[in-house]
Amino acid sequence: MHLRRIEGDLWEIPREGRMKVPGRVYSVGPPAPDDPALQQVANVAQLPGILRFSLAMPDIHWGYGFPIGGVAAVDAEDGAVSPGGVGYDINCGVRVITTGLDAGDLHPKLHALVAQLYRDIPTGVGASRAIPRLSAAELDEVLASGARWAVRRGFAAAGDDADRCEEGGRLAGADPPAVSARARTRGADQLGTLGSGNHFLEVDRVAEIYDPVAAEAFGLLPGRVALQIHSGSRGLGYQVCDDFLAELAPRVASFGDDYAHLPDPQLACAPIASDEGRRYLGAMQAAANFAWANRQVMTGLAVRALGHALRVPDRDLGARLLYDVCHNVAKLEEHVVDPGARGPGPSTRRVLVHRKGATRAFGPGDPRVPEAYRAVGQPVLIPGDMGRYSYVLAGTARAMEETFGSSCHGAGRLLSRGEALRRARGRSIAKELEAKGIEVMARASRTLGEEMSEAYKDVADVVGVMDRAGISRLVARLEPMGVIKG
Amino acid sequence: MRLALPQPWEDLGHVADVGVRVRGASAEEALARLVLALAGLLAGNGRVEPEREERLSVRGGPGRALAAVALLREVLYRFATERILPAACEPVRIDEGGAEAVIAFGRWDAARHDGADVKAVTLHAARFERVGAEWIAQAVFDI
Repeated sequence: MHLRRIEGDLWEIPREGRMKVPGRVYSVGPPAPDDPALQQVANVAQLPGILRFSLAMPDIHWGYGFPIGGVAAVDAEDGAVSPGGVGYDINCGVRVITTGLDAGDLHPKLHALVAQLYRDIPTGVGASRAIPRLSAAELDEVLASGARWAVRRGFAAAGDDADRCEEGGRLAGADPPAVSARARTRGADQLGTLGSGNHFLEVDRVAEIYDPVAAEAFGLLPGRVALQIHSGSRGLGYQVCDDFLAELAPRVASFGDDYAHLPDPQLACAPIASDEGRRYLGAMQAAANFAWANRQVMTGLAVRALGHALRVPDRDLGARLLYDVCHNVAKLEEHVVDPGARGPGPSTRRVLVHRKGATRAFGPGDPRVPEAYRAVGQPVLIPGDMGRYSYVLAGTARAMEETFGSSCHGAGRLLSRGEALRRARGRSIAKELEAKGIEVMARASRTLGEEMSEAYKDVADVVGVMDRAGISRLVARLEPMGVIKG
Repeated sequence: MRLALPQPWEDLGHVADVGVRVRGASAEEALARLVLALAGLLAGNGRVEPEREERLSVRGGPGRALAAVALLREVLYRFATERILPAACEPVRIDEGGAEAVIAFGRWDAARHDGADVKAVTLHAARFERVGAEWIAQAVFDI
């Protein structure tokens, strides 16, 4: 793979063959030319209707179809929607809940708190029954209303939680009837559950502030306790993606020559305007709403667990949702597609932005950012690994110009799961974390091996690339005190 | 031909997820090993006791690789919704349009089985082909 440096940490894969646009890769150090993820960037550049660049954020690593850390915007009129470009865990995302609690005061009760969270929020393979199984009608409401369904039922840090989610915690185009019976069966009893793999719930301490103005707007104060939740749409979302890939893969060539020559079957896609494209978008948006409801129910359960473990009334915890971002999604957004164009001024176009392991990062002044944050830019929540730290950043005007308002989504894996397990053999990852003052509870010891710090890039390097490139701005660092894994 | 757990498979070294490659003297043997590679990932170190047999027949494709993926998807759906996983597999056929196998399922037990949480069977890098005297099949699972 041939790459050329554009500037700083930004590299370009020149357009060649059937690529419609060049690839652009933000990278921690020079990219390794034989990294399979770079070929995936080039493959995504063949998507019908793709605009400007096939982008990769600095947490890029080998995915399936799209690289993890990939961003592709396509024209909403004649572009393609790719279920693989969203991924199986539709609207996998992260939220941070700030509290008024002092981390030092919490320390003596940390074990009790982590144990309470572990009891109250089901984790692990096929975790279910956090709340009573939903009826078919209730599930339709969840699929249509997202986080708002859960807030109405009292699962909340505060009454305005949904307003503090990306898109208000609900995608309006959701089409619940487009979600198959199989997907409903797979997900109906999983609302309010964490899952496993890289999903987690953390008790964090606000360790350092880099941008005091933005941190104040975000409610982040040094030494305060925050909760962080990473999860998605569980089995329901996985099945929605699976259903549509199975439908599209045998038929993709029927949509035209560009579709017939896509280099990876996982890139199977359909024109946005086709019946298949519209049905997928409706089902995907419904699954995204399920994911928001899932994280919202867990928020309610976590805040209750916090109050119970500390014997403090919920209202005295000072809990407040900072923000909720999705990092596996495709969304219809207005963007300036050619910022350098001559004329009376840049014009916006409606595009479908696929973010596969990438976070929306809208800048200051954007009306789509909640009013409380509009002056400083959208909160961009970037989890690291369970043994080091996570970051809160803010979106920028530069992201709107260069990356369709997108930033990185995490640290990015460095080791395969098999290699991580080999390196964890004979060690107690839980004890190693305990030695660092981090209380961890996990359903499976295997998960701790797969998810240990060494398996990931240092997220400080990743967010450093985004900060230096002006794509998002460092606001604060969070450090884990307690970790719940599946 | 009927094969039971455990069966050999190679790790493709996929960074985010898990990719497996299996080899067989026949297409049927490769298919059985691919099904049992998925079962092994789900089971981890725990033994799977067969409780009931079921004939799974799926349409899939185009090509043998996506037909094999279609069979794996069906096995994974059973795991996700019924908490059962293959202990043994007796392939009936695999061709360009689908696959069929008789599978002996056992019950998954959280206390015994410490395998991976497989979300899906992807189409990425799916392979099912004859190479010289052997058949090679592979699949990447989303974890």
